[in-house]
Amino acid sequence: MLIQFSVLTEHLDRYLIGLGGTVAASVVSLLASFVLGAMIAVLCITPVKPLQWVGTAYVEFFRNIPLILIAFFVLVGVPLLTGTVLVPFISGLTALTVYTSAFIAEAIRAGIQSVPQGQMEAARSSGLTYLQAMRYVILPQAVRLVIPPLGNQFLNLVKNSSIFTVLSASDLMYQADLINSDTFDTFSTYIFAALFYLILTIPLSFGIRYLERRFPRVKGVEA
Amino acid sequence: MIHFHQINKHYGPYHVLKDINLSVKQGEVVVVIGPSGSGKSTLVRCINRLEWVTDGELIVDGMRVNDKSIDINKLRRHIGMVFQHFNLYPHKTVMQNITLAPIQVAGMSKQEAEEAAMVNLDKVGIADKANAFPSQLSGGQQQRVAIARGLAMKPKIMLFDEPTSALDPETIGEVLDVMRKLAQEGMTMVVVTHEMGFAKEVADRIVFMDQGTIIEEAEPAQFFTQPREERARLFLSRILNH
Repeated sequence: MLIQFSVLTEHLDRYLIGLGGTVAASVVSLLASFVLGAMIAVLCITPVKPLQWVGTAYVEFFRNIPLILIAFFVLVGVPLLTGTVLVPFISGLTALTVYTSAFIAEAIRAGIQSVPQGQMEAARSSGLTYLQAMRYVILPQAVRLVIPPLGNQFLNLVKNSSIFTVLSASDLMYQADLINSDTFDTFSTYIFAALFYLILTIPLSFGIRYLERRFPRVKGVEA
Repeated sequence: MIHFHQINKHYGPYHVLKDINLSVKQGEVVVVIGPSGSGKSTLVRCINRLEWVTDGELIVDGMRVNDKSIDINKLRRHIGMVFQHFNLYPHKTVMQNITLAPIQVAGMSKQEAEEAAMVNLDKVGIADKANAFPSQLSGGQQQRVAIARGLAMKPKIMLFDEPTSALDPETIGEVLDVMRKLAQEGMTMVVVTHEMGFAKEVADRIVFMDQGTIIEEAEPAQFFTQPREERARLFLSRILNH
């Protein structure tokens, strides 16, 4: 048999520990990347030029280098700079969040800026402040535009959490590596790891589709 | 009500408004006409500071528009604006479009704002569409909603930036009718338009612009029959005789 089910049944506890690690990493990093990404997006669209530069520099730096490099920087750089060694799991979360938030910032920025200029003008000309215009006019329209790209980023985040294994932080991939070194049945080991990833990502995919239907794009938005 | 004094505006290398001097009195209807790119829209958009002027003095309702220390939102409350592309909020109903500013800016209760909105919707003739979304309305209806939205804060001035240019020919009339009614009620209006019939009939004064300059200012009767300036004559002959 190509696939040995005994790999799964005998090491189910390890797979589940790994799954737990991946879920924890994904949930925490998802929330943190969303908050950080939203803040960076705000920097990117403020009328204040220096803040814009900071935001843009962040996005362009972190989304244009490999995640594994960021992970190494966190692993090696943080102890060098601060003198403290992070727990592997925290290193992983930091790297994943820093990386993902750059993509999320970009998705949010693009969503906000694709709401036509005339919407802001109409809102401001009626006496609304910039923040009121954002809150009542721009953001409700941007949310609908941002859901699909944001969903993609969340899927990527779950998969990218596999970077934890190179930091020796316990996630699905790390546990799979351990199982592999016990069983030497590489194919079976990683096929089951893939299945566990799918258990996480397929419901997420459907969840995103559901949100897209719940918040359909508004008709008649002018380009 | 509105005073432009030696106003200049540059857009990078482009000198879009050149030494503009213009006054609009309370209750006056001023129609700005001229070829594309002549600075008409920019002129109107300076009045509520959607555009900053580069130099000169612009006073609207007693406020220096380009003084950074004024509360621009306070000035904008008293100026309604209607855009070429309506710019209705597509995610809000007609009613919500109209009541947003009264509720958030003027602090009216929802009920108060909705009652006032119904009066304005009635005035523009689409009270039955209060709960529709903009996408369910024709262009003419959308623009009338936009006018009702502009009127929601009981403005002292209404600005119209080519309000009929994006409309089907069939629906232009209904929008112009509403504007005519506003003019008769004594609203101070600055209107950029290519509708010469409307200009002739409703304007107290015509302002003709070309290449960022006011070429001629005259009453409609005089402007349309005996324009003083050669450039105005040429413009009129091109648009009226075809």
